[in-house]
Amino acid sequence: MTVIRARAEAGIGPPLRSAGGPPYGSVGTVIEVTKLTKRYGDGLAVDRLSFQVRPGHVTGFLGPNGAGKSTTMRVLLGLAAPTSGAALVTGRRYADLRFPMHEVGALLDANAAYGGRTAFDHLRCLARTNRIGPARVAAVLEQVGLAGVGRKRISGFSLGMRQRLGIAAALLGDPGVLMLDEPVNGLDPEGVRWIRELLRALAGEGRTVLVSSHLMSEMELTADRLVIIGRGRLIADTTVRELAERFQRGVLVRTGRGPELARALEAAGASVLVETDGALSVKGLDPVRIGDLAARHAIPVHEVTPRTASLEEAYLALTAGSLEYGAAR
Amino acid sequence: MTDALAAEWLKLRTARSTGYCLGVVALFIALMAVLAWYAAHLWDGLPPARRSSMELSSLPELACWVDYLVMGVLGVLAITSEYSSGMIRATLTVLPRRRTVLAAKAGVVAVVALAAGEVTGFTVLAAARLIVGDRPIHGQEPHVGRIVTAGVVVMVFALLGLSLGTLLRSTAGAIVVVAGLWHIVPVLVQLVPEPWGDRLGSLLPAALVEEIAGSGGQNSIYGKGLPPAAAVAVLVAYAVVPLGAAGIALARRDVP
Repeated sequence: MTVIRARAEAGIGPPLRSAGGPPYGSVGTVIEVTKLTKRYGDGLAVDRLSFQVRPGHVTGFLGPNGAGKSTTMRVLLGLAAPTSGAALVTGRRYADLRFPMHEVGALLDANAAYGGRTAFDHLRCLARTNRIGPARVAAVLEQVGLAGVGRKRISGFSLGMRQRLGIAAALLGDPGVLMLDEPVNGLDPEGVRWIRELLRALAGEGRTVLVSSHLMSEMELTADRLVIIGRGRLIADTTVRELAERFQRGVLVRTGRGPELARALEAAGASVLVETDGALSVKGLDPVRIGDLAARHAIPVHEVTPRTASLEEAYLALTAGSLEYGAAR
Repeated sequence: MTDALAAEWLKLRTARSTGYCLGVVALFIALMAVLAWYAAHLWDGLPPARRSSMELSSLPELACWVDYLVMGVLGVLAITSEYSSGMIRATLTVLPRRRTVLAAKAGVVAVVALAAGEVTGFTVLAAARLIVGDRPIHGQEPHVGRIVTAGVVVMVFALLGLSLGTLLRSTAGAIVVVAGLWHIVPVLVQLVPEPWGDRLGSLLPAALVEEIAGSGGQNSIYGKGLPPAAAVAVLVAYAVVPLGAAGIALARRDVP
């Protein structure tokens, strides 16, 4: 804690971290949400939600609009009080952190900045509360690519620039935990790629990164782990790989000797369907085993393609029952 | 607390509204000088027999009365600009101790408003002395004590604005209430039947300057007036009670 603070005060950015274990916190759970419920009037925004986020990974926090992602993050950051349950960061309530910027960096809403201030002044106002000096402010502006407009008023910024400014604010204290709500909104393709690489690099340094999004296609490229919620409830706490495997749709095999290969595959325990164009749709065997079997029987194979449902489809299938604002079908 | 104060000072300094508010204060100081010059000119043109009937409001106090509203608005904006921009979420994320945030805001707003009030009062006093010279115009006798108190009331208005802004979380709503206490309620109170009109009028913040000086109720729209000690207590209550309520509300409510 003291070490991190001293470094931030000196205005030096995060040092390059060598391999040898995550330098931040323990290897265990960093964000812990336990039976969290948040009620607004009659509506349940979050309903007995429990999940954990571990360091060293980018964890995608996914759900349709209105699923409770932002509410959960607001409770985690102490902005909203839970109706029941707990939301802890590094084992403590956020409100109990003395200098939170050095432990948790947050981006909730890119537009949450007073437009009349310059980018530099905006960050200085935030930094000063946690004893972070102007040199560090200049360094993060440089890091997010806003050094050239640091003296310009925020009111003239595009949404993409505001996102970068919000990320700069989150990085000010060189925190071990990052919580970003929809950080790619409004970014151009170059910006989306920049943030993807930034998040992966931060996680690679052993930090805990929780990123919310309603876009599976984006999380597929950025996240390792996924926490998927709908209507305030946990739908899946999984990894990108597990989710892809769960929605595996078999392997497509093309060969000139279909019936023969089908018999061989079925003998090895697979279930085989013959498609209209004569190709085989194989379930229960992976492409390696299929290839080996074909070779053993000396059957030439023209194509072996594992067919995964796209994660987008998997995600839609998972959340279909919990759309808050779905189109009528 | 020092860190919070420094950050809030930085915020107030870099907010555009602060410059506008202080600009209006400066403008009215200049306007008072013009008014003093006009009064002196008028006095010189009057036949000596009619000069004793000429009266002019105490210019330093008039200038401070304008400051009540302007610094009240400054206090409102110190918090509502954060609610309207969403900055409040960032503010309370980097500093989760909410009462500390409010106390720091109150500290910097109070210092700026007190400085603005006292500078206004004494600058106008000096300018009026210089311009009016030794012409014995009624109302221009220097009441240093009342000018000091008027500066303090400027600070109380600013704190009241901050508290109302925190409670209502709306710029328009809070400014309406401040403006109401400043001038609308005093006008309405005169319509209230006696003795309640007097009683209510003497509790209004702008009435307190004369009451604290012991000269309340003379020729006043605010009624008969409270004794000085009671007036001081009311002034303190105007600053402290709403601020306490704002502290509780800010700590308890979810941030929008």
